[in-house]
Amino acid sequence: MIPRCHDFTRNVARALSNRNLQSAISRTTDRFLSHRDAAVRSFPGDFEAAREAASQLKLSVLRDLDVHLSRFIEEAERRGASVHVAHDAAEAREIAVRIAQEEGVKLAVKSKSMATEEIALNEALESAGVEAVETDLGEYIIQLAHEAPSHLIAPAVHKTREEVSQLFVDRLGEPYTEEIPELVAIARRHLRDKFLSAGMGISGANFLVAETGSIAIVSNEANARMVTTLPRVHLAVASIEKVIPKLSDLPAMLRLLTRSATGQPISSYVSVLTGVRRPGDLEGPSKLHILLVDNGRSAILKGKYREILKCLRCGACLNICPVYQTIGGHAYGWVYPGPMGSVLSPLLLGLREASALPDASTLCGACADVCPVKIPLPDLLLELRGDARAQGHRTPGEVAGMKGFAAMMGRAGLLEAFERIAGVVSQLLCKDGKIPWLPFGLSGWTDRRDFPAPAVQPFRKLWKIKRGIAPWNR
Amino acid sequence: MPPSPPVTASLFFTCMADALYPNVAMAAATVLERFGVTVRVPPAQTCCGQPAFNSGHRKEARKMAAGFLRAFDGEGYIVTPSGSCAVMVKEMYPVLFRNEPRMLDLACAVGERVYELSQFLVDVLGVTDPKSAFKGKVTLHDSCHLLRGLGVREQPRTLLRAIPGVELVEMEQSDRCCGFGGVFSVKNPLVSCAMVDKKIERILATGAQYVASGDLGCLMNIGGAVSRSGYPVKPIHLAEILAGPPADGNAP
Repeated sequence: MIPRCHDFTRNVARALSNRNLQSAISRTTDRFLSHRDAAVRSFPGDFEAAREAASQLKLSVLRDLDVHLSRFIEEAERRGASVHVAHDAAEAREIAVRIAQEEGVKLAVKSKSMATEEIALNEALESAGVEAVETDLGEYIIQLAHEAPSHLIAPAVHKTREEVSQLFVDRLGEPYTEEIPELVAIARRHLRDKFLSAGMGISGANFLVAETGSIAIVSNEANARMVTTLPRVHLAVASIEKVIPKLSDLPAMLRLLTRSATGQPISSYVSVLTGVRRPGDLEGPSKLHILLVDNGRSAILKGKYREILKCLRCGACLNICPVYQTIGGHAYGWVYPGPMGSVLSPLLLGLREASALPDASTLCGACADVCPVKIPLPDLLLELRGDARAQGHRTPGEVAGMKGFAAMMGRAGLLEAFERIAGVVSQLLCKDGKIPWLPFGLSGWTDRRDFPAPAVQPFRKLWKIKRGIAPWNR
Repeated sequence: MPPSPPVTASLFFTCMADALYPNVAMAAATVLERFGVTVRVPPAQTCCGQPAFNSGHRKEARKMAAGFLRAFDGEGYIVTPSGSCAVMVKEMYPVLFRNEPRMLDLACAVGERVYELSQFLVDVLGVTDPKSAFKGKVTLHDSCHLLRGLGVREQPRTLLRAIPGVELVEMEQSDRCCGFGGVFSVKNPLVSCAMVDKKIERILATGAQYVASGDLGCLMNIGGAVSRSGYPVKPIHLAEILAGPPADGNAP
């Protein structure tokens, strides 16, 4: 997926002109949130303690990531998997395409994976002559629409039922229906052939278990199960931070992940896949390739943004984010949307591309409240804003404005003088005590809002007049 | 009841109240004095530096923060009618000065003395009856910083419920951000306006005459949209309700 983060303002304008998108997103995310609240209330045990424990576990994994990864690779290979490590997206694409070609694959079925979106795998496979079909219903819908996912777990959250119905008419030649079971049946019918004729299945991984070399995947549609067991070859693509030490760590992580994502105590399907098909096994791939994607994460690991790598991709921070709810995922311009994406995208793509994203938050803090692994998202966004200024990704006007502001605020006397001038000047702009139009970079504020006129007598003056100058005020 | 010995508090009136809503700062002082607090107003205070810090201009933010720490160096409580500015001093100054041990110590010492108004009244003074004479149907917008930064949720409600003339009606998702976010509302005005529209929808659904908050930023944002579109609701700062009906001058 080609990053379009630098077009943030334009992306937002486009999103806001689409009323369907806003209502579709608020409806779904509100539903996820109320389910999440219920799941947290009925959590067996102390939810806060579980969050803290999961956060600590992820932190400890990150501290010794290389050790856990080595263990994972060793154990997976012992059970017949081939493990590949890609340092960047290009290398990851090369490896995946080479595997497909070496295995003589013409058709691959996929189950939803953000890592493959990150490395733009579908496009690479397509140019190599390999058809890659998404099989998650939401992902299938957006693939038909030639779009990208707009949510981590609900990729087509921005589409209304009517839009999906029309898409199935246009792209699949099916009769128009708004009945969800019928829509599901249509998709299922079309996908069945693909499942049966695919030479390779491509999945992501929610967790990589170091102890056993296993891949753990949660899903609600069983498509992940089909993808990972039906085709002869299975390629699992995962970013390196998905590793957890032990199989016994898995339940604690799963119960937080699914509750935070959709409010489910557990997803409909949980697959723990270990190694290739053994003699006597009824199902499973005879070849298993695991592609571990670094793509900048080793660098993140060393610095002050390490905690973003705790992310479980549950989407809770998206659901609760009032900005995400308003603009949807596509506006963020790349694979990872919402608060977690506003941190991760600039780190993976650089601030030159994505400096607008850390600003796409009011810092309301709701995201940090729901994060199952307690990532301090607002703090990380603030750090990124600091880096954006330090690295020169701020307009000269903003920098000059802020310097002027700081100078004026440097001394109360100076501020007082300014307040006197502002009080007079604002009377010119003023209408009934309101300023309907602000100049320079501030005009956006007053497009649909009035700004209050500065007080004729600022508080510091009012206080002197009404209360006199007490000794401590001199 | 005023505790003894008498309490002294420095009023951190915030640059926003100073320049735009002086009545709010005056109301805060009035309420404090009503409960026997001797109010000081350190005259050297300007802005805590939040706008600069939140937009990444840390050098400028440090300059303003240093000024704030000089202005409030000393002893006794520091009380402010702003959850947001309180969070800036308490939570963000330590980030800002993390590489300057001396300033960090000072920031932490000053930060410990900072309270938001309703928090100070309820948690420190133990006020259960604000002795206010306000009348009207009020809905409360939880400002993000007050709620999540300081954990203040019940204090304003406790105070409002204790005022005989006030009918407190809760809106849906009172804790959902109004879209202000300081520089956010300037940099992303379209999103900000869409967010405040949703907030106003929920406010109007309560039928309240007033929407109250402990943060002027939220009230300026909501008030700006209300004023432009003429919605039948009046934004008002918690301090103004606690002090009684607003006298004259700027209302948010």
